[in-house]
Amino acid sequence: MIKIDDLTVKIGNRAILNDITLDIPHGHWTCLVGPNGAGKTTLLKVLLGVREYSGSLQDNGVEVYRNHKRNVAFVPQHPEIPTGMTVAEYVALGRSKIEGWGNESPESRAFIEEVLIQTQLYGMHQRHVAQLSGGEMQRALIARALAQEPELILLDEPTSALDLHHQISVLNNIEILKTRGVTVISTMHDITLAAMYAERIVVMHDGKVLLNGAASDVIHSSELRSAFDNRINVYTLDSGRPVIVASKDDQEN
Amino acid sequence: MFSKNRREGIGEIWNWQITATCALILFIVGALAISFGPIHLGIADIAKTLIGMDGLHGQERTVLLDLRLPRMILAALVGAALATSGAVYQTVFRNPLADPYLLGAAGGAGLGATIAITNSGGNIYGWLPIFSFLGATLAVATSFFISGRFFAEPNTLLLSGIAVGSFATAIQTYLQQRHSNALRPVYNWILGELTVANWSIVSWSSVYILSSIAVLISISKKLDGLLLSDEESFSLGIDPNRLRMIAVAAATLATATAVSASGLIGFVGIVVPHLVRGITHRVTNRSLLTISLVGAAFLVVADLGARSLLSPAELPIGVITAFVGAPFFLFVLRTRRITHS
Repeated sequence: MIKIDDLTVKIGNRAILNDITLDIPHGHWTCLVGPNGAGKTTLLKVLLGVREYSGSLQDNGVEVYRNHKRNVAFVPQHPEIPTGMTVAEYVALGRSKIEGWGNESPESRAFIEEVLIQTQLYGMHQRHVAQLSGGEMQRALIARALAQEPELILLDEPTSALDLHHQISVLNNIEILKTRGVTVISTMHDITLAAMYAERIVVMHDGKVLLNGAASDVIHSSELRSAFDNRINVYTLDSGRPVIVASKDDQEN
Repeated sequence: MFSKNRREGIGEIWNWQITATCALILFIVGALAISFGPIHLGIADIAKTLIGMDGLHGQERTVLLDLRLPRMILAALVGAALATSGAVYQTVFRNPLADPYLLGAAGGAGLGATIAITNSGGNIYGWLPIFSFLGATLAVATSFFISGRFFAEPNTLLLSGIAVGSFATAIQTYLQQRHSNALRPVYNWILGELTVANWSIVSWSSVYILSSIAVLISISKKLDGLLLSDEESFSLGIDPNRLRMIAVAAATLATATAVSASGLIGFVGIVVPHLVRGITHRVTNRSLLTISLVGAAFLVVADLGARSLLSPAELPIGVITAFVGAPFFLFVLRTRRITHS
């Protein structure tokens, strides 16, 4: 269990995250949703252990800040793309946490191969990452996370800037991680996709958590609508699957 | 269904045969460098002398042991130091144009050297290395101090390094103008020279340079993590700030030592790393040992050119590194896709 108590993160005097208290269970996919500036990315970085905070954030009873003992994979929205590094090298970096930097064993190399095949990158693994398309780069990031065999994976907008086809393929890869027992925490702009894949949804607004619960409950809640200033409509398809769309001003009420 | 493709594997990330080849090249150019000169020394005689058998005698023996050998070794050390530090700075600052003198080391060393030259009367060489070493390390330390939390923004350190370097150069130019008799030695030193090489310089500079390079090579695989964002490298198990600190400290120590032993030799720190990366098509810092070896070989050859082209006069070695290095670099730039950090 990840336990967050009275967590506050400030830049200068401005609170980016304001007195958050939240429990996130392991073994599930939890999705952070909310408008831009709600503090979702900051919360991911705090969960990773790179951002200072006041209050407490414990993962299995251990404070996370600067804690190198956890094996947490991080998939940023805007990764630093190392010019000249090949896809195979890039994915191999994922093994560093487990095997130490640059010590790929034959088993590791086989594992990396496996991951490249799984993410449909095998065959282009000698290409430079800088030459990949947006969708391929996203898959390379996921592949590196898969190679890391993490206990927790944090993804910042893993599907933004991807077409529908690639969105689904990336999300399916993340789901594979989850079936291996990995805890998944992601931010996602597309609430329909969030409802489709995540089991739990945390609604954030202005650095605060408005609601936290099972995806199906949160989707139909008034808190979700109010986080987006009541500018969203929730429809339910015949299959029972919810679809969330933005509403135009003249359609309000 | 992918079983047919799978047999090829993902390939080696670094081919160590390249490193071995470069070590061999260094050995060969090193042997040629101590053999060539106004007095030609046979390779076989050199080998015999070095392993303690009956080889060279008298003047030839003195030329080998007291002139050429220390000079060749110093050239190799300085070349390795500059090339390795250049590669490391390029990774740390994620800037392909970063060079070892970037953080004010050149300006600081220049000022230190000028102070030594203008105040030493005749005996300039006793104090020169010490003063330029102090100048270089002080300048880099000042850049660090001014930039404060540089790790949040590496470019701040770069900018403060440029400012500190310019400030030191301004004072240096002022001193130089005040003491016109110092113009020539200062100018010679700035262009780089290895004529001062002797066993004492070789022994103290080898301690600093080799230990710095050893530290850098020991962290070389981790340095690849600095090519990613800090969050990503943290998640892969490194502390990016600490790693940068170690890398910059070791690279600065190597650079300051090289500068104080041989003056300012330009171009090596940028050209050699890019040559190795360009030719191997690899950006990984696993190439660091290879870059050291190529840097060493490059400077040994450059020094051979410096002392033979206008023999018996000597050209400043910095002229050779730029004169040979620049066109060669442009050639590689045109024919290969240069990759960088």
